[in-house]
Amino acid sequence: MSVMKLSMGPQHPITGHFRFILDVDGDLVLKLEPDIGYTHRGIEKLVEKRTYLQNLPVIERVNSYCDSLGTMLGYLEVIEEVMGLNVPERAKYLRVISAELNRIASHLYFLCLTSVATGLETMLMWPINDRELILDLLERLSGQRITYTYQTIGGVRFDMPDGFKDEALKRLDYLEKRLEDYYKMLVHNHTFQLRTKNVGILKPSDAVKLGVVGPNLRASGVKVDVRKDEPYEVYDRFDFLIPTGKNGDSYDRVEIRLKEIEQSIHILRQALKDVPKGAIKTWAPPIVPKGEAYSRVEAARGEFGYYLVGDGTMKPYRLKISPPSFRNLIALPHLCRNVPLADVPIIYISLDLIPMDVDR
Amino acid sequence: MTEKSIEERIIEDVKARFPEDIIEAKVQRKSRISLSVKSEKIYDVGLFLRDKLGFDHIASVSGVDYITMNEFEVIYYIWSIDNKVLVGLRTKIPRDRPILKSLIDLWEGALYHEREAWEMFGINFLGHPNLSLLLLPEDWDGLPPLRKDFLLPENPQEKLEEKIKKLSGG
Repeated sequence: MSVMKLSMGPQHPITGHFRFILDVDGDLVLKLEPDIGYTHRGIEKLVEKRTYLQNLPVIERVNSYCDSLGTMLGYLEVIEEVMGLNVPERAKYLRVISAELNRIASHLYFLCLTSVATGLETMLMWPINDRELILDLLERLSGQRITYTYQTIGGVRFDMPDGFKDEALKRLDYLEKRLEDYYKMLVHNHTFQLRTKNVGILKPSDAVKLGVVGPNLRASGVKVDVRKDEPYEVYDRFDFLIPTGKNGDSYDRVEIRLKEIEQSIHILRQALKDVPKGAIKTWAPPIVPKGEAYSRVEAARGEFGYYLVGDGTMKPYRLKISPPSFRNLIALPHLCRNVPLADVPIIYISLDLIPMDVDR
Repeated sequence: MTEKSIEERIIEDVKARFPEDIIEAKVQRKSRISLSVKSEKIYDVGLFLRDKLGFDHIASVSGVDYITMNEFEVIYYIWSIDNKVLVGLRTKIPRDRPILKSLIDLWEGALYHEREAWEMFGINFLGHPNLSLLLLPEDWDGLPPLRKDFLLPENPQEKLEEKIKKLSGG
């Protein structure tokens, strides 16, 4: 047996801004050690130097190109909890609508990455094309395509434009039909199944022990979703299911995201129907009082945790960000033990790790 | 008599088991508990929380630098999937001797969280297998950056140019 050290990334098309240090014996990966930090921007330090309001675009960049609205929601939740601020009803609905749209966009992006890793090029083009419909909706709402800064302390910045509701419903109908194509093309595809079934099996007990969150945890069969466990904003008013997987393999992790898109469409239809009239923003003082809180929100990749210590000034004393990808990262070396080298990209992609989210 | 909430019952259990070592225990709001313990007892309280009270899912390990009081606070946030309660297990350690027993035996998921707290605050976790730089560049030689006495450079551009010059040998 001769063990070779192999460095994979950070320029590798699959790993993105990661580097993996692999111990390989021929084709067999014995050990994987992730080397992260390539996109570390020191956000936890930067936010201490800026006011709460100035921090909004900074926080958004924890996970900017996939799920900035879900990321932002946790930061706002924690500030509003320390302040004791009540957000208008309409703003809560608009926050849910924007966050769920962003979740769909994020999952579609995930599907396209998965297809690259499994070599199914059609499914690279379809979801990335359909994601544009969602991004276009978000652009109508906020004026931006990717980094929206749509939600703000005390509400949201813009109201729904005229005709937004009808257009959104139309596109959701289209997307729902389109999901059938995705199932045919990807999930029920024999090649895809051969490639992903029984690859990277994460047992439920291990998933909990390692602190894995979000769709990855649910794919292992553990029913944990912050939207149900601790409903924030107005999630307690909607009727939706938490899909769970059976085997916890890469296949389940892909399928569960398709099912989550279905549930998001379901939530969006209810939210768009019920959205009440009224103000979209309440006045928020620039100073956050002394105090601390920990907020949890369910972003597209899983649970975001924010711990805030306010000291009665305009700037946070300490803001700890606990992002989902950082917490899911530990599953990667756990799953990449004694697997063929070709399975490493599949396992990595199926965990939906975003380097920016890991590094902050 | 009104029935006690799950949060209050958990606090009672912990207080009954560790009457001496709990400095403060309170319910912050629904499904949020704050438990302040003596630093030498954090492992024992953690073991009790995990095995007897079902706190199984680690959420975050956070350091806070209280420089005026010359101490660090380390907070482990742990979620209980069955009870749907988040506990903040916190302890204070002196700033000039920041040593704490690692809790990765209890929650394996704390591995990277503790490593991050080590590089950002300089907190030494006894028993951690690999305390090495995680997010910071590998040639980092400054103070742990999230300490309050670490100041951001006034002109980062200048510093970067200096570094590039040094690396390119000129």
